[in-house]
Amino acid sequence: MKKMYVLIGNYGSGKSELALNFAFEAAKHGRTELLDLDMVNTYFRLTERGKLVSQKEIRLVSPNFACSGIETLSLPAEVASAFALNWDTVIFDVGGDAVGSTALGRYHSDFAEMDPDQLEVLNVVNIRRPLAGTVEKIIKLQEEMQIHSRLKITGMINNTNLGTMTRPDELRDGYEILKQVSEQTGIPVAYTSGKKEFLDQFLSEGHDPKYIGKPIEIDIYMRRDWDSFINNLGR
Amino acid sequence: MALQLMKGSEAIAEAAIRAGARYFFGYPITPQTEIPEYMSARMPEVGGCFLQAESEVAAINMIYGAAGTGARAITSSSSPGVSLKQEGISYCAGAQLPCVILNVMRGGPGLGNIQASQGDYFQGVKGGGNGDYHLLTYAPASVQEAIDIMMFAFDKAEQYRVPVLFLADGLIAQMMEPVEMPEMVDFKIDPEKKPWACTGWQPGDDPAKRGVINSIYIDTESLSVHNAELQAIYRQIEANEKRWECYKTEDADIVLTAFGTVARVCKTAVDELRAEGIKVGLFRPISVWPFPYEALAETVLQDHVKAVLDVELNEGQMLQDVKLALNGGKPVDFFGHLGSEFPTVDEVKGKIKEMMKEGI
Repeated sequence: MKKMYVLIGNYGSGKSELALNFAFEAAKHGRTELLDLDMVNTYFRLTERGKLVSQKEIRLVSPNFACSGIETLSLPAEVASAFALNWDTVIFDVGGDAVGSTALGRYHSDFAEMDPDQLEVLNVVNIRRPLAGTVEKIIKLQEEMQIHSRLKITGMINNTNLGTMTRPDELRDGYEILKQVSEQTGIPVAYTSGKKEFLDQFLSEGHDPKYIGKPIEIDIYMRRDWDSFINNLGR
Repeated sequence: MALQLMKGSEAIAEAAIRAGARYFFGYPITPQTEIPEYMSARMPEVGGCFLQAESEVAAINMIYGAAGTGARAITSSSSPGVSLKQEGISYCAGAQLPCVILNVMRGGPGLGNIQASQGDYFQGVKGGGNGDYHLLTYAPASVQEAIDIMMFAFDKAEQYRVPVLFLADGLIAQMMEPVEMPEMVDFKIDPEKKPWACTGWQPGDDPAKRGVINSIYIDTESLSVHNAELQAIYRQIEANEKRWECYKTEDADIVLTAFGTVARVCKTAVDELRAEGIKVGLFRPISVWPFPYEALAETVLQDHVKAVLDVELNEGQMLQDVKLALNGGKPVDFFGHLGSEFPTVDEVKGKIKEMMKEGI
């Protein structure tokens, strides 16, 4: 049965990183398509890792003109392949916030035809981002994204991180906030994701599994040549 | 204060507000549109004014007006937009108006592209507008550094009555990094400290206390006096405001010079080369006007230093200042890219190894 994951969320929540991790895992088990549906950002997009993606025998669909230096991107016709072809796994990496999730609205009827068991619409949350730092902000953003995407969010991913300066506190603080969001909205925490060292530490602390969901160990693929600098700031 | 993961544009805009900026005038252009976007939401929350001007030319002239009242005003744009602002920037410099201008550099010339570039170094530090003027110009290399500089940028602008320019690039505005945001500064316009500010004048007030903002001096003598005053201020800035960072230069055989984000690539190259036993260091100017000539000369004109490699995302613009600083004292080589293709750590390492093979 085809399984589809739609990753939406605040800018900088880690959607592209998670999309790559989901895709690489899925590609081990079956035919996988990965769609870069970010129509907003012109910098730091998933398509920049296109070579790596193709090496893993994953089909990548990118907006027309992505990474070309042109800022008026357009949706390619190939997005239809996500629904029409016989994939085992399809992953959508969508642009940030409500404005980014608007790109999904176009495919409303395609999504509506899918069996609910096949579709996970996941809100990737990083509470270290200023606009997703509180229960109220997350709920507001979540509601806006549901309206713009014309999709119902089925679960949240606690992907709280500080980039290269991530500590074990990040997942723990994310857990506390998402627990409250989940209690108020009824939307479950479907996954908790992080690098192995932080995830292991977090899981050993005995938190309520109901608000952890499925733990996912992630590797970092979106790292840059200049990232190490931040550790040298001596702050 | 807790660490947050912030996009450069948001962080720079928030820092400006915390530093007391209450007027933002600008016009959207990639890769800095998130700055006006953020300001449009944030300025009303702090009782400030966000105004999307009809053009970059209008925006800088609105800055002229707002700064003339003693308020803290800021504008931002990217390379082609900053070119449009040059007339207004020269007027602000001539009228001695403290303000902050952000240039989030992208590829050029002309419309160029929307990726990061360092191609406006000359425009920023050698004077993009007319006349003998300078802008106190900073080149931040990280989001946190941009925040930290913003927190004193208005103070420096007011202390010397000069515009301050941020020479950042597309990466700084677009990258997300963990940052610590400082507390809000309590800024109020103090007419005693800013006697030149136009804060309202009624008939009967002392004419001597009337604020006048002006950059026109019709007769040669008064323009000459005005310019001499400006130059005296620039000499003070040169004496007091040079900033730089030295990284592992104490025993380096080769010293890299680079500014902004490119310096980060160089820093990684320094660490990786040192792990291979090759002694390399980095000299990074943080203020690019005034350029830290003396500090660079002192760092490089040492017996252990054999050569300098300047790395930039342009044709070699800061290279000229590096050569001026060293005045032929050491061989200077250059590595750079045009067209916004970012230099990589491997390329910098390769270039250094090539230099060593050639026996420098």
